[in-house]
Amino acid sequence: MKMKNIVNILFTGLLFIFMGCEKVIDLNYKSNPSRIIIQGNVTNEAGPYYVKITKSIGLKDTGSYPTIDDAVVTISDDAGNSDTLSTLGHGSYRTNHLTGVEGRTYTLRVQAGDQTYTAQSTMPQRVRFDSIKVETDLITGETEYSFIPIFTDPVVKGNNYRFVLWLNDSLINQQLVLNDEVRNGVLNTVRLEINDDDFDFKPGDLVTLQMQCIDKNVALYYRTLALISDSGPGGGTTPNNPPNNITNGALGLFSAHTVERKSVRVP
Amino acid sequence: MGQSKFTISGTVKQKSTGETLIGVTVVVVEKPNVGVITNEYGFYSISLPKGNYTLRFSYVGYKQETVPVKLDADARVSIHLSDESKLQEVVIRAKKDDDNLTKATMGTEVLNMKEAAKLPVIFGEKDLVKTIQLMPGIKSNGEGSNGFSVRGGATDQNLILLDEAPVYNASHLLGFFSSFNSDAIKDATIIKGNSPAQYGGRLSSVLDVKMKEGNSKDYQVSGGLGLISSRLTVEGPIQKEKSSFMISGRRTYADLFARLSSDMKDVKLYFYDLNAKANWAINSKNKLYFSGYFGKDVFSVSSLFGSDWGNTTATVRWNSILSSKLFSNTSFIYSNYDFNVGFKTDASEINYNSHIKDLNLKQDFTWYANANNTVRIGFNIIHHTITPTKAGGTDIVSVKNSRKGLENAVYVSNSWKVFDKLNIDYGLRFSLYNVLGGSTYNIYKDNHLIDSVILADGKIGKNYYNLEPRISASYQLNNSASIKIGYARNTQNLHLMSNSTGGSPTDAWIGNSYNIKPEVADQYSIGFSKNLYNNAFELNTEAYYKTMSNQIDYRDGADINTVPDIESELLFGKGRAYGLEILLKKKKGRLTGWLGYTLSKTERQISGINNNQWYNAKQDRTHDISIVGVYTVSERWTLSGTFIYNTGNAVTFPTGKYVLNDQVIYQYGARNADRMPATHRLDISATYERPSRRRWQGSWSFGLYNIYGRRNPFAITFKENKDNPQKIDAVQTSLFQWVPSITYNFKF
Repeated sequence: MKMKNIVNILFTGLLFIFMGCEKVIDLNYKSNPSRIIIQGNVTNEAGPYYVKITKSIGLKDTGSYPTIDDAVVTISDDAGNSDTLSTLGHGSYRTNHLTGVEGRTYTLRVQAGDQTYTAQSTMPQRVRFDSIKVETDLITGETEYSFIPIFTDPVVKGNNYRFVLWLNDSLINQQLVLNDEVRNGVLNTVRLEINDDDFDFKPGDLVTLQMQCIDKNVALYYRTLALISDSGPGGGTTPNNPPNNITNGALGLFSAHTVERKSVRVP
Repeated sequence: MGQSKFTISGTVKQKSTGETLIGVTVVVVEKPNVGVITNEYGFYSISLPKGNYTLRFSYVGYKQETVPVKLDADARVSIHLSDESKLQEVVIRAKKDDDNLTKATMGTEVLNMKEAAKLPVIFGEKDLVKTIQLMPGIKSNGEGSNGFSVRGGATDQNLILLDEAPVYNASHLLGFFSSFNSDAIKDATIIKGNSPAQYGGRLSSVLDVKMKEGNSKDYQVSGGLGLISSRLTVEGPIQKEKSSFMISGRRTYADLFARLSSDMKDVKLYFYDLNAKANWAINSKNKLYFSGYFGKDVFSVSSLFGSDWGNTTATVRWNSILSSKLFSNTSFIYSNYDFNVGFKTDASEINYNSHIKDLNLKQDFTWYANANNTVRIGFNIIHHTITPTKAGGTDIVSVKNSRKGLENAVYVSNSWKVFDKLNIDYGLRFSLYNVLGGSTYNIYKDNHLIDSVILADGKIGKNYYNLEPRISASYQLNNSASIKIGYARNTQNLHLMSNSTGGSPTDAWIGNSYNIKPEVADQYSIGFSKNLYNNAFELNTEAYYKTMSNQIDYRDGADINTVPDIESELLFGKGRAYGLEILLKKKKGRLTGWLGYTLSKTERQISGINNNQWYNAKQDRTHDISIVGVYTVSERWTLSGTFIYNTGNAVTFPTGKYVLNDQVIYQYGARNADRMPATHRLDISATYERPSRRRWQGSWSFGLYNIYGRRNPFAITFKENKDNPQKIDAVQTSLFQWVPSITYNFKF
């Protein structure tokens, strides 16, 4: 809960005074060129690791996503290891023997039809995720919960963190990223900017966070998504497909990152 | 030749208050082609051969006066004009019935505050910026917003002056109100790009707002009580006819009501402003003016979050009539804009703060060379101190130094009556910006740091200079029609950096640097004016084409709150805008008002955005219509209404979607290729003026905003449907439906 959120709450309050309202409307959308989507992850946990290749669909479509099952997919690292992934169908591919090691740079290569896509990502050194601190504030008569992931940023600058949030085991679709640009090498005290307009934290709820140490390009991808989805009086930034680390115009992301989970009950 | 000429000069004032009158037409009856207009300080000067003449002073809303002059030596003719009866008032003042035909000035509108006050406005809070937004070529940034865009320009490309002092953030309360307390304002002029050479520093427009001087004859108290704010103004003579003062304050109290509910009791949300002015006539030729403005917004939630921002300006001006033909004005101006925001949690505290401070010296001479030439010459030096958004607090390491810059300009211009039907205004402005030392400047190429310059205090780092030619001409085709053409170049050395699609108080000003170069705009325009039915109607049309270079935007993913140097996140490009504006005014009769229409296109091309292709600027709107009517029912009652329609802003909606790590992500196509739904709305108001009892004059205004309750789009967001997450809903937020207002104004 940072400024955006507080401003948001007040603004919503003001809107209420000014008789503001929300409604679902029908829009005419531009036609959507279906693009190839590549999702690949290598983590510091034991393998196998998975790559998924799908295609995007129109915004109004509710059907399933087309998949590509006949691609040749390899992941190699800078220590001389290379792994050609096995296809599992439904667009999924699985590594056979690769291990994720902190500090190594991984290269993904996808050959789909006559197109080749490559991506690179470096797995940062793991930063220990100690716990989750919950803070409560009374704002305009309602209890607002804030969650602070407790970890100590290393002295070396350039660390990026991503947090994946589950509320009672259901994944919340929000991009939560932090970096050490303004507070390097110290214990984190920054709250995650969770937008809780569409759900409520209630006492007893189980909140789970997965902390990922991610590289610079992966962080840029998620930060761009987070900035686009900012809402409130200023609005978000003009939306765009976030810059990613895959060549040849594929959407999606290849990320080598560390993972660590912590849970906490809402008091 | 050989015939000696003499000069008649003087000052024109309002009879009841002693306020000087700007733009009064002074015509020599015997030589109807000879005429001038009083300047910003009510001064005029005419040179004529020896002889007997009659001067006619006319100004809409005031009784015309004629004065016989026997000219055999230089003469001083100063005069007071008195208010005319109420029924002939008009909303937008025309200085003379057919002034629009003879003056070379293009793209200029003058607002009469007294009349603008009769138009319906949201919450009944009369607001000159909202009235200006009803003119063609000027677009509001969004419903309720005080930001505006002129001829395709961005919000920061408007030079907003309050008694010559630049106002950096002219809005209050999340942008819903302007910084201008109407009670303290005498006059406002907006110039859409074709500004005379004495103005400079912004690409798109000049909004020149002048405060009242204060009644020099009598004490007067006026004020108003409204739904969300109250105002009080006191003015009067200090020494009768020699010096006077005016002080005016305004404060909102919406939050006082809000705090009655327990939910909002920790919330503070209000603004106030204070305008003060005094003037002192040292003698008949020298006059001093002091004016000041102080405004502040406060927005806080218990001890968790606090934010305040405000403008302070102070101006000292010295008017001097050096000779009957030479008028001088010297101004010292101070301007400061401050923004603070802070957050506090149990464990930490963060504060962000930014400010911009100006010290400004202006010298302007007006030389009434002869009956056909009026020359202006002068210079301007502004010293800027700009502190970018700076973070502070527990365990934050962010060192951002203030940066300094010197903005200099010299100019000369001439208003030339070539012959009877042809008038040409031409001028040249030379601007020079010095990047000053005391800070470190990084140099980037393609967003990568390639060099760093540590510039010592007092050193000049980089100089940017520009020549800005301006010319406009009018040719009168016949008694009722004229054509005009114009060209103007404007440059801009300070830039407002905004990361969001809307404006936000965190948007920060930044000056030229080693990466940021002055923005340059070239505007070409052509116009046609025609007066119909004996000047009862006035039709003004203008077409413009404008190119802009060195435009700035953030690259994707730029996080302005944490990045150490925002200059690493900038992209540069150009812009173009073109359009047609039509304004039909009805100036006489019981029903007055206007119909404005704008057809326009505004595009940008920034390398690194939209695959380097041209795209619609956010403020690009194809059609913009406004209809304004004021109907005088009787001496007591006035009814008014405004209707607006405009194409929605250019925005980017998602076109598709995909799943990444079990989260739905939207796919986007070309930038700003989509449109918000159109906005339209009708507002009405009624004003009742009570018959005055002794000195007490009171009036009631009743208004209804958005009378047919149109849900205009403020924002559209995309969300997964709660019942079927596969379905994406477009959710539109609307702000104001049926907002009633009531205001009581008084004067004694």
